[in-house]
Order: sequence, then structure tokens, then C-alpha cells
Amino acid sequence: MHRGGGGARWGDEHGGVMNLKAFFVASLQTALDLSIATPEDILKHVTPDVLATYLPRPLWARLFTACLGAPKVDAQLVVETIGVPNLCEHVPAQLIWACIADIGNRSLGKQVDEEPLVLAPKSLTPPPPPGSSRSKPLTAPPPDVIEKPALVTPSKLGPNIPAPSTMPAGTGTSSLADIVAELEAEGSRDERSITPPSRVRTPTQQRFRQSQTGGGGIGRLAQNNPRRPQAGIPSVTPARTARRGETEVEAGEGEPETSVGRGEDWRSSIAVEEEQLVEWQASEETLTTTDDLETRKR
Amino acid sequence: MMESGLENQIFQPGDVLAHATPDVLANHLPPDLLSRVLQASLAAGSMTPERVLETVTPELLARHLPHEVLWACIAAAAARAGVTNTVVS
Repeated sequence: MHRGGGGARWGDEHGGVMNLKAFFVASLQTALDLSIATPEDILKHVTPDVLATYLPRPLWARLFTACLGAPKVDAQLVVETIGVPNLCEHVPAQLIWACIADIGNRSLGKQVDEEPLVLAPKSLTPPPPPGSSRSKPLTAPPPDVIEKPALVTPSKLGPNIPAPSTMPAGTGTSSLADIVAELEAEGSRDERSITPPSRVRTPTQQRFRQSQTGGGGIGRLAQNNPRRPQAGIPSVTPARTARRGETEVEAGEGEPETSVGRGEDWRSSIAVEEEQLVEWQASEETLTTTDDLETRKR
Repeated sequence: MMESGLENQIFQPGDVLAHATPDVLANHLPPDLLSRVLQASLAAGSMTPERVLETVTPELLARHLPHEVLWACIAAAAARAGVTNTVVS
């Protein structure tokens, strides 16, 4: 097993990289060539189970083909079909070394263990490195909690916009009763005049709402929107009708006072001057005779 | 069907392995079956189709091999028997 050119410095002269597999291939191939080892020595540790675990499937296909076509299937056929380089390439180094160790010990007359070396089954998850004693979770930590911003209260619409007030503008601290009294007084002054209510439009809310892109929906569909859809205000307020009704009720309580009922000479109460009278008898256009009436009847 | 075909000699183990080639077996059989086939062959000293099918039973064939391969074996046997005119390779 000693080859020329070897030695401690051999690896340094060739780059300093230890080529363990090449060493195994050379050792096993030489042992087989020199009849120091037999193919059964290899298959002692490189069992069919090991081959089934580590050998690639194309090599298995090649092995099956050779075995089916060969008159005799033995360890030599298996080793020759697979080849020592492929065995050293795919089979774990511990098993190859176990083969070489048995061959060497037997050659030196030492006792050889009859039991094949059994490796632990391959684990898909490698053990954690010794330095990392602290285990890390496989899943990513949960993201930071994004708090939903509080809804902006409509009281503060802007820096220069005053807060909307429920009081009518210009009325100060007048109450609803004062407004009603004022409207009644105005209604008594001019009952028939349909004028818009004297109440000044109160700038209660902002006409166009600010677009809110926050959560909860859009516009009135927003879940947290306290506002409700509002119907349009009719042009004629029912309060106005109520006032007129009150007046009619008051008038209906008794008979309307007329001068006819009093029995006075109403003709004398209306002073008409003679100049205002029209002398229609002098006009020819309006003169109708009995003849005309008869011809019209026909 | 595979078991019945073998029992009734519609096709032979060699016919099965003509379709279930070593490449197909090596690529579809699980490792434990590969190991058992090789162990049986080493123990017997030979690997024959009969011995392969003793280890890899028709049930295991149907479980692991593509059904197209098995159906090609059956169809080819039927073509040989003259049941069908379709020649399946």
C-alpha cells in the first residue's frame, strides 16, 4: 500500500488539499489487484442496503442489466460493474475505511471484526452547530402591530376653520323658542308672501367632506362613519304652513267680520268720485241695440 | 392483471422484464426492494427474471412501476396471442 511519491510533503507539493477519495480508490484497487482483498471484503460493509441507499439509480440500472445478463451473480460482478471509483465516490467514507481497515488488519494478522459497520440512518435535517445553543424559530417573527389611526373628529376641520356650531349664525345664544317667536311675528306681518325663511343658513357642516383614505370604507359606506344620509330639505317648510294654519284657525273660530252683517249702508262707505265713472253709454262700440241681439240669436 | 397474466401464462417473467427494464426498475423501485433483489441474487448466485419477480411481486410492480409500462406488457401479450391487432412495443 505504499506508493512511490507519497509522504507527508506530497500533499503540500500538490496544492495541500487532502484527496481522501483518491486515496481510497487507489488503496482498494491496489488491494484487489494484488489479491490482498477480495470483492467480498468490500461487500461486507458495502451491503446491498448501503448500495440501495447511496448508489445512484443509473448505476443500479447498470447493475441490474449486468446481473440479468450474467450467468453468475457474485460480489465480483457487483464490484466490477459498479467500479471502485464509483463506490468510493458515493459510499460514505467510514464504510470504505472500514473495508480498508479490515484488509490491513487481516494482512497484519490482527483480529478482524466480523460484523459489518452500520451507519446511522441519514438524517434530512443536519444537527445544529455546536455554537448555536439557542434555538431560533423556523417561522419569521410576527410583524409589528399596525395600530389603526383614530378617527378624526369633525370638530377640528382645519386650523382656521372654526368648529361647527349648532347655533344659527348671528343669533348669538338665541334658543329655538326665540326663533319660533320671531318667525311667527314675521308671518303675522306678511302672511301671503312666500318668502324663504328668515333663518340664516347655518354653516353646520362642511359641504364637501374631506376624502378619507383611512380604513373602514369609503365615504358613507365607512363602517365608522357616524353620519347618516340626509334627505334634502323641502323649499316650503312645514313650519310656515303651521303658522298659516294657526291663523286660519283663529279666523275660523268666528264668522269673518263683514260690514254686510252689520246692516250698514256699504254703498256709502265706498267713496267714488264721478270722474272715475266711465261714460260707457256714449261709446258706440259698446252700444247694443235690440236688433243686434235678435240677429245674434238667429 | 399482472398476477393473473403470470398465473395463466399469458406472459412470462421475461416478458415482464422486457418492459420493466433494469432502468425502469432502478428508477422506480424503492431502495429496500433494490437491496432485496440484489441480496436474493447474490444469495442464489444469479439474477433471473423469475427470481426478480419472486422478490418484486406483481403487487409491488403495480404499486411502484408506472402503469403504462405494465399495460404495455399486457397489451404486448395480447398482441402475441392474437387477441388484438394492435402491436405494442
